Amino acid sequence: MIGNWTRGLLRRRSARLTATAVGVAASVAALAGIGIFLAAAQSSMTDRAARSVVVDWQVQVEPTASPGGVLDLVRATDGVRTAVPVGFAHSSGFVSSAADTAATTGPGIVLGLPDGYSTNFPGALRTLTGTDSGVLLAQQTAANLHVTPGDTVEIGRAGLAPVPVMVDAVVELPQANSLFQTIGAPPAAQPVAPPDNVILIDQARWHTLFDPLAAARPDLVTTEIHAALDHSLPSDPASAYRVVTASAHNLEARSAGTALVGDNLGASLGAARSDAAYAQVLFLFLGLPAAVLAGLLTATVVATGQVRRRQEQSLLRARGASRSQLVRLAAVEAVVVGVGGSVVGLIVAGLAGWATFGSARFGATTAGAVGWAAAAAATGLAVAASAVLAPAWRDLRRMNVTAGRATVTAIGPPLWVRFKVDIALLVASGVLFWLTSRNGYELVLAPEGVPTISVSYWAFAAPALLWAGAALLIWRLSDLILGRGRRIIRTILRPYAGSLSQTVANSVSRQRRPLARGIVLLALALAFAFSTATFNATYRAQAEADAQLTNGADVTVTESPGNPVPPAAGTTLSAVPGVAAVEPIQHRFAYIGADLQDLYGVDPSSITSVTTVRDSYFRGGTATELMNQLRAQPDSILVSAETVKDFQLSPGDTVNLRLQDERTHQLATVPFHYVGVVAEFPTAPKDSFFVANAAYVAVQTGSDAVGAFLIDTGGTGTAAVAERIRAAIGTSATVTDITTTRGEVGSSLTSVNLAGLTRIELGYGFVLAAAAGALVLALGLAERRRGFAIASALGGSARQLRSFVVAEAGVLIVGGLLAGSLTGWVLSEMLVTVLTGVFDPPPTSLTVPWTYLAAVGSTLVVVVVVVAATTSHLARRAPLTALREL
Amino acid sequence: MTGHSSRAAPDPSASRIVVECVGLGRTYGTGAAAVTAVAEVSFALPTSARVALVGPSGSGKTTLLHLIAGLDTPTTGTVRWPALRDIRRGRAAKVGVVFQGPSLLPALDVTENVALPLLFAGKSADQAMQHAGIAITLLQIGELADRLPDELSGGQAQRAAIARVLAARPKLILADEPTGQLDHDTAARTIAVLLDTADAIDAAVIIATHDPAVADRLTTRWTMCDGRLDTGSAVTGPGAGVAAGAAGAIDIGGDTP
Repeated sequence: MIGNWTRGLLRRRSARLTATAVGVAASVAALAGIGIFLAAAQSSMTDRAARSVVVDWQVQVEPTASPGGVLDLVRATDGVRTAVPVGFAHSSGFVSSAADTAATTGPGIVLGLPDGYSTNFPGALRTLTGTDSGVLLAQQTAANLHVTPGDTVEIGRAGLAPVPVMVDAVVELPQANSLFQTIGAPPAAQPVAPPDNVILIDQARWHTLFDPLAAARPDLVTTEIHAALDHSLPSDPASAYRVVTASAHNLEARSAGTALVGDNLGASLGAARSDAAYAQVLFLFLGLPAAVLAGLLTATVVATGQVRRRQEQSLLRARGASRSQLVRLAAVEAVVVGVGGSVVGLIVAGLAGWATFGSARFGATTAGAVGWAAAAAATGLAVAASAVLAPAWRDLRRMNVTAGRATVTAIGPPLWVRFKVDIALLVASGVLFWLTSRNGYELVLAPEGVPTISVSYWAFAAPALLWAGAALLIWRLSDLILGRGRRIIRTILRPYAGSLSQTVANSVSRQRRPLARGIVLLALALAFAFSTATFNATYRAQAEADAQLTNGADVTVTESPGNPVPPAAGTTLSAVPGVAAVEPIQHRFAYIGADLQDLYGVDPSSITSVTTVRDSYFRGGTATELMNQLRAQPDSILVSAETVKDFQLSPGDTVNLRLQDERTHQLATVPFHYVGVVAEFPTAPKDSFFVANAAYVAVQTGSDAVGAFLIDTGGTGTAAVAERIRAAIGTSATVTDITTTRGEVGSSLTSVNLAGLTRIELGYGFVLAAAAGALVLALGLAERRRGFAIASALGGSARQLRSFVVAEAGVLIVGGLLAGSLTGWVLSEMLVTVLTGVFDPPPTSLTVPWTYLAAVGSTLVVVVVVVAATTSHLARRAPLTALREL
Repeated sequence: MTGHSSRAAPDPSASRIVVECVGLGRTYGTGAAAVTAVAEVSFALPTSARVALVGPSGSGKTTLLHLIAGLDTPTTGTVRWPALRDIRRGRAAKVGVVFQGPSLLPALDVTENVALPLLFAGKSADQAMQHAGIAITLLQIGELADRLPDELSGGQAQRAAIARVLAARPKLILADEPTGQLDHDTAARTIAVLLDTADAIDAAVIIATHDPAVADRLTTRWTMCDGRLDTGSAVTGPGAGVAAGAAGAIDIGGDTP
C-alpha cells in the first residue's frame, strides 16, 4: 500500500511534491548557509585578526633577568617562529640644528632593532623618505626637529654626553600604540599614548650608546623580546584566543617572574572573538527568519492542498482505512519531501558556499560542521512533518468523515484568536525589548582576559515574539476585514466585475482563511526583506558617518603638535589642484577641574562648508542653531554629556577651563558659557571633548595655531588630492583621505562579514517575497481549477473569470504590502535598537533603502499580476478532464 | 471540416432544429493509443425533442453531451445550433448543462450558484437573484437558498444544479445523470419539474440516464454503444421528429407535444 501510494504521489502530485520539497530545501539551505557563512566568517576573522598584528608577542624582560635567558625561553616555546631582542632606551631629548634652525624635543625613546627586523615583522616600519636602515626617525619626531635624511640629530642621555647621529630615513610606525604599550598594565588601565619622539637605530650601535646608560641608570634601559608566532590556529576566534593566551600565560609561568608577555595577538583575537560573537548574533538575527519564512512558505504550499487531502483522507476512511494507516501515508509524503528537500537544500548551500567562500564546510570544526548539517537536515524534516504530517494528524483527530469532505468549512475562530495570543505575544515582545534595554543592549560580554564570552540570547526573544505576534495579528485583521468587508470589496470590484462584484466579494470572503494565510506569508516575506535591507542600509550609513567623523573631511591635514602652524598656511593647501575649500580647526587640550579633555576651536560660520555637521551630533539644538550660537556668543562652548553630568551643568552656566597660554607658556583660566551638548564632531575622539569658537580661543590663549586643516575636494579624487598635498607639504604633517578611512572603517571584521551576509539575505528576501506571492496565488487557484472549469462551462467570459482571480490577487497584494511594510518598519526599529552595539556611531534614525524596497514591492506586484493573468488564461482553457471529474 | 460553425444564418426550414450534428466524432490520443469516444454521430434535434440517452458506462454519453454543448472540440464532423443566435467561441449561450456529480462552486451559496449563469449572461444582480429565486422555488429547495454546497446532500446539490440550468431558460437542456443521487420520489418530481419547465420555455431536452423510470418519461430513446449512437429506439409517445442524418438515425414523426 505504501509503495502504491508513493508511486501515485510521485506520478500524480509531482508538481505539489516538488513545490513542497523546494520549500523544505529553502529552509535547509538557509540554515546550512548560515552555518557555512559563520564558519567562513569566523575563519576569516581569525585570519584577519592574526594578520593585523605585526608583533605577536612583546615579552618584557624584567630588570633583574637576563635578556639572553628570556630570549632562549621564548624561542623554545611551542608555536614561536621567530624571536628577537629589541632594546628600549629613554632619552632626555633630541636636538637638531638643521639649516639655520635649532629644535629641541622633550624626552624620547631610542629603539635598538636587530638586523632583519623589518623582514621578520613586516609592517612594523614604513619608510617615508630615505633608506631602509640606519638611523630612522619617526615621522612626528622629524617634524618636531625639522630634519630630513642627511641632517644630524643629537641624542640626549641622562648623565652622559649627547651623541650625534646622522638621519638616514624618516619612517612611520603604523603600530606605535602596541609597540610602546605598557606591558603588564591592568586590563582596565587607560591606554598610554605612544611617545612623540622616537629614533630607531641598529642594535649594535644601540648597545654602544646605551649599555653605559644601562649600567648607570638601569631604570632607563629595558629589553623586550619580540616574537612572531605560527598562525596555524583554530579557525574559530574564541578557540584561537584561548590557545594563544594559554601559551602566553604558560610562558610567563615558566619564566618564573623574569618575563611579562604583551600578547598583541591575543588582544587582536580577543577583539575578533567579540566580533565573532556579534557576527553570530547578527547572522542569527538576520538569517534565522529566512529559514523560518521558508518553512512557513512550505506550510502554505502544503495548506493550499489541504481541502483535497482532507477529502482523500475522508474517502479512505470511508473505505475502511484506519487512523494509523492514514498517518503512515501522510508520513510517507512527509518523508519524501523532507528527505528530498533536505538533500537538495544541503547541496545548494554547499554549492553556494563553495562559489562564495571556496569552502562548503558547515562549521568551523568537523564536529561543528556535522552538527550544523545535521541540524539543518533535521529542521527540514521537521518542516516537512509540521507541514504535511501534523495537519493530517490533527484532521484525523478533530474531523469525522463528513466534515473532512467539506471544501469550504464552517468558519469559526481558532483557539488562539479567542485567547488573544497575538496580543499577548506583542505585549511580551515589548516587555522583553524594554528589559533588554536596561543593560544598554549589551548583547556580547567579552571581558578582557577572560577566556569565555557570553551572549545575551534573551535579546533574540523580543524580535522573535514580534515576528510571531505580528503574524498572528495580521491573520486576525485579515480574517476580520475580509469577513466583514464584503461591501468594500464589492465597491472596489464594481468597475471591473460589474454585476458579478457582489458574488466575487462573497467568494473572497468565504475563502478568507486561505487568503489570510497568504497575506501573512507575503507580509512576513516583505517584512524580512524590509528589515534586512533597512538594517544593512542603516549600518552602511553609520559606517559612512563614522568615516566622515574619523577623517573629518574629504582630506585632512593634521599638523604635528610641536609645530604651530597659523591658519594662513591653508593658502598653500588651497593652491593644490583638486582642493575646493580649506578650513582650519584648532586642537588644544583643556582642563576642566582635574579632567583633561580635547578642545576643538572652529569658525562656526564656515565649518559646515567643508564637512558634514549633523543635527544628531548635538543635543540642546540643531547643528545650525548651535553654530549660530557659537558665532553670536563667542564664549559659548559645547560639552559632552558626561561633562554635563559630572559637573551638573545647566545651559548658561559658566565653565572655566584651563588652557595653555602661548604667551606665558602657563595654564590660564578661560571662561566659557555652556550652551549645548556635543556627542560627535569631525576628528574628535570618542571621549569627552569641547567645541568652542576658534577666534575666542585664539584671543584668550594668544595663539591661533591650527590643529588640522579640513579640505573639501568635492567628493571626487580624494586619494589623488591627498597624494598631491603630501608631495606639497612633505612629512611635516599627516595627510589622510576619506577613501582610505572609509576602507579602514569598512574593513572592520563585523562590517565585512555583514556585507557578505546581507548580500545573501537581500537576494533571499527578494526571492522569498516573489515566491510567496506567486506560490500562494498560483497554488490556491490551481486547487480550484475545477471550479473555473465549471464557471467556464456555465458561460463565464474571460473577464468574468478573471474578476475572481483579480479579487484574490488584489487582496493578497494590498494586504501583503500594507502589513509587510508596517511590520518591517517596526521590526527594523527593534533590530537597530537591540543591535545598537554593532553600529558606530549609533544611529538616531533608520536609513531606508527605498530603491531596493521599491524593487521588491514592484517585483511582487508584477509576479502576482503575471500569475493572475496566467491562471485566468488557463482557467478559461481548463482541460475537460476537470469537467470529467464532475 | 471539423469544429463548430458559428453565427450560422438561420434557415427558415431549420428554425425548429436546435442542434444539428453531422459526422460528429471525438478521438483522444493518437496512433495505437487512440481512443474513439464518439464516432460518426449525425442527427438534427428539434426544439420539442425529449430524448433519453442510454448506454453502458464508458459508451461515450458524457462526451457526446459535451460535444453537443460546445464544451469540447470534435475531432471530426460539425455541430451547429441553427435555432440559437447567440454563438460565441463555438458555443451556444442558450444551452444548459446539468453535469454528472457535484458541480456547484464551493465558495458560493445555493442562490449565488443558481444565479451565476445569469450574471455571466449579463443580467443585473437583482434580476439574476430574482430568476434564481424562482428556479429554486420550482425545485423546492427554498430552505437551502443560503447554504453552501458542502452543507447540502448530494441530492440537494443536484437539484440546485438543475435549478441553475432552468433559471437561465435555455433552449437546449443537456442533463448527465441528473437523478443519480436522488431517491425515486424526488427523482420523479425533479424530472417532472425539468420537463414542465422545458415545455414552458420550448426547450429541447436530452437526458443521459441509467434510470428506466426517467427514460420512460421521455419520448425518444437513443442508445450509445462504443461511441456509436443509435437514434432508432422505439418512440414511446408523441415525440419530436428527428431528421435522419446517419446510419441508425430514426425519424420520429409527429408534432412536438
